[in-house]
Amino acid sequence: MTINISDETNSLLKDNGFRIEEIQEIIESAESSGNKLKDADGEVFIARGDSDNLTTYAVYSPLANGAFELKSAYAHKMKVAGLTGGSFGEVEYDDESGWTCHKCNEEAVDRNVDMFYLDVSRPGPGIVCPKCGDIYITQGVTKTLKTAESILEEKRA
Amino acid sequence: MKQISTVGSLCPECLRTIEGIKFVEDGKVYIKKECAEHGSFTTLISKDVNHYLKMEECFDVDRARVKAPLTDVNKGCPYDCGICPSHKQDTCLAIVEITDRCDLGCTYCFADSTSDASNDPDMDTIRRMFEAVKSCSNEPTCVQISGGEPTLRNDLPEIIKMAKEVGISHVELNTNGRRIARDQDYFDRIKAAGIDAIYLGFDGVSDDVYLQRTGKKLFDIKAEVINKCDKAGIGVVLVPLVAKNYNLHEVGKIIEFASQKVPTVRGVHFQPVFYSGRSPAEMEGRTTILELLEEIETQTDGQLKVENFTPSLMPTAHCGATCLTLIDNGNFIPLTNVSMGAVRSKSDVANKTKKSIMGRWKGSTPDLQPVSKPSCHDLLSKASLVNASKSDVSSSCCEKPNNTISIETIPMESSCCRSSGGWADFIEMSMNKYLTISTMAFQDVWSYEKERVENCCIHVVTQDGKLIPFCNYNLSNCNGDFLYRNKNKVIGMDD
Ligand code: SF4
Ligand SMILES: [Zn+2]
Ligand SMILES: [Zn+2]
Repeated sequence: MTINISDETNSLLKDNGFRIEEIQEIIESAESSGNKLKDADGEVFIARGDSDNLTTYAVYSPLANGAFELKSAYAHKMKVAGLTGGSFGEVEYDDESGWTCHKCNEEAVDRNVDMFYLDVSRPGPGIVCPKCGDIYITQGVTKTLKTAESILEEKRA
Repeated sequence: MKQISTVGSLCPECLRTIEGIKFVEDGKVYIKKECAEHGSFTTLISKDVNHYLKMEECFDVDRARVKAPLTDVNKGCPYDCGICPSHKQDTCLAIVEITDRCDLGCTYCFADSTSDASNDPDMDTIRRMFEAVKSCSNEPTCVQISGGEPTLRNDLPEIIKMAKEVGISHVELNTNGRRIARDQDYFDRIKAAGIDAIYLGFDGVSDDVYLQRTGKKLFDIKAEVINKCDKAGIGVVLVPLVAKNYNLHEVGKIIEFASQKVPTVRGVHFQPVFYSGRSPAEMEGRTTILELLEEIETQTDGQLKVENFTPSLMPTAHCGATCLTLIDNGNFIPLTNVSMGAVRSKSDVANKTKKSIMGRWKGSTPDLQPVSKPSCHDLLSKASLVNASKSDVSSSCCEKPNNTISIETIPMESSCCRSSGGWADFIEMSMNKYLTISTMAFQDVWSYEKERVENCCIHVVTQDGKLIPFCNYNLSNCNGDFLYRNKNKVIGMDD
């Protein structure tokens, strides 16, 4: 599998301590399993990779020649415990998240999910597939989570 | 009896350096040491070995030494203080005493409060004291102006200004608050001089306590100081001197009071009364860290537990304990817990402590700059994928007229600008509504451990421009003769 990475994206990976191989792995596994989000036009995908202490996401696009282009990568240390309130609740007017669960071909929606880190648990916005329940956190939310993570780490130190 | 380690200590009679052992018996930790001349001494240092060891496990710091020692290694620790090159720890807080005079005449008092104004150091001497800190310690430098009662000096504003001129990064004032409460002009000048924080003696939330200690009703005065600082935007740390039969029963109320005054009140620093008894048995009358924490747990109905207090970034795991807690609608959400173990930190202890001393006042966490206030935009994240995604799916959090998602069933963080209870809220709360509760244990000649003192990061500046580790500065033998404080000659020496 060929993954194109621009210089800019490459330095983003470096700055944030991501290894290219791990990002590649996440994309490869998403491509083979179909576990990914795609946007309305099928031009942007988000794949998720779970490890012990980190959840990493790759944002990438398919290219005409069958290769992919990595657009961005981000991660959070918090664990996603599940949907806030425990189960998926239907709501009257669901805002479309703009993302589709590729595997289920189902429109993913915004739902709050519980995330915990260092004994503190709080809800935060996630993108959830109503069918398989897969949860994705977006890059913007991750910025907030990162700040909260640092606060918890700093305050403990 | 199980030996934990050996310790370097001092003879409580003659202050000679002697060796001892630390051991456990019946779940308690003791130090036993022997002087060839004065015999053997056994001192209880913790009544709970489990807590003692847990604190040790959870303690992990990197250290940095001072920039430039001011004395030589000559007679060996603890006789070379100044700081000497053997000292293992940079200064995190330098204490500059600008007078021995005090206007309270307390029953419990640390400082020698007997002298008169003519003994106060003059401006040149004080300048040299600040300069000693600048030349010895690494940046940033933090100084606490202390006494006696520093506000007895009319030139205090000039002294603060001078500290800033010399280049001290953070200047805090340790005061009983009486003059600040009644003299607005004086307070304005202190503020204009650039004071960074007030360390306010605050022994209780009732006048009973103050009457007992000073014969004066002081609670309203304390409240007025906090009020003034609130208006002036100056952070306050409440400093209760704690003792049994005095205010130990009120520690929960003090914390509760403080929590109502955040963010002006940044923290509560409990200071168990220090006294040098004539025997180890007498010393057991003092309040230990563990006893204080147990009281806090009981008096806050278990909201702040013993285990929420982790070792302060101090010389050793046993020098202090700190709890950081968020305040959420009158409840506490402690962020610290010993069970979380040690945090591996890259920065050294003094630097971290300094940052936290300074960070408390600025009301934010310096490491986290820039912390932009969490906004809708950050939370409603589709928009933040703009670089990755081709189009900016506009975030419509603020105008969602049709959003009938019930807040009760799904407290959607993204359902409006003001999130409730989510991580963004958490961040905001931690910036504005948190309290640092800490305590510190001074060493006495009975519990003295060389390892603790040579790692000490709180240094008292003497008028001849030396920096003496705090516990050594206040150390006296069992007859009340000091090793350093008010001393020209050093006792316990064979020279
Ligand atoms: S306490 Fe520190 S400065 Fe004082 S003699 Fe010992 S090592 Fe030197
Ligand atoms: Zn699905
Ligand atoms: Zn002796």
